[in-house]
Amino acid sequence: MPGAGPEHACGRVTLVSLVVVWVVVAISLVTLLLGLLASARNRAPGQVELAAALLTGVAAIVQSLLAGFRLAGGAHPTELATTVGYLVGIAFVMPVGVAWALAERTRWSGAVLAVAAFTVAVMTARLRMLWGA
Amino acid sequence: MTPTTPAIARQRPLSSGPGRLLIAVYGIFALAATSRAGVQIATKWHEAPLAYTLSAFSAVVYIVATVALASSRPQARTVALVAVSIELIGVLLIGTFSVVAPGDFRHPTVWSLYGIGYGFVPLILPMIGLWWLRRTRGAASEPT
Repeated sequence: MPGAGPEHACGRVTLVSLVVVWVVVAISLVTLLLGLLASARNRAPGQVELAAALLTGVAAIVQSLLAGFRLAGGAHPTELATTVGYLVGIAFVMPVGVAWALAERTRWSGAVLAVAAFTVAVMTARLRMLWGA
Repeated sequence: MTPTTPAIARQRPLSSGPGRLLIAVYGIFALAATSRAGVQIATKWHEAPLAYTLSAFSAVVYIVATVALASSRPQARTVALVAVSIELIGVLLIGTFSVVAPGDFRHPTVWSLYGIGYGFVPLILPMIGLWWLRRTRGAASEPT
């Protein structure tokens, strides 16, 4: 796409955001796996699964806050409106997912956590694309 | 675990067991379609009014389906059935149109190319939805 991000973007910021992306994706994939395992073993999610889910939620919120600071500092991704939508939306996926999973604790709760975690991972990858390389 | 009282528990609740997973996925699509339509309409409405109207329509269908599936009201089942049916027709129609006349569908909606941008989940979701509505249907409404 012509006229994408500026080449003079600060290297340190890019490195930090890259690390954040990998941390969020890694934690959410762990949660995805734990949720699926719990579901496959016909168990309601226990403390480990919930801790992973909460950690995923916190990581996503931290990511949104850091990206928010970057936007406030004058960074401009290709599609600003879409980026802001993702940054706001992703912050709510895990909290709502955990609440929905815990309202009825069955084997399906783990699957709900897995779906929420997968969504966080996909949205994070998509955000990364929106910011450009 | 749950004690079943056949006289009362004729219809299994939609939002129980695997239904919760289904509703979670519906919720995500409601979120995705709504944000997508919102951004499209807010930032580039003039480029493709028809495509973005369809985008907004799909968002409304997902929201209604999510709320109806999660609701415990007696009428909710009918609303869910209508919403999920429209969803299936929508993804089949838009999917087919976007294959046959790609030029008219350069501005993608969730349902373009049968939901290829979302791993074809938009195509499979209404089928699972209809199956779930059928499976949880009470013995009372069973055709004999």
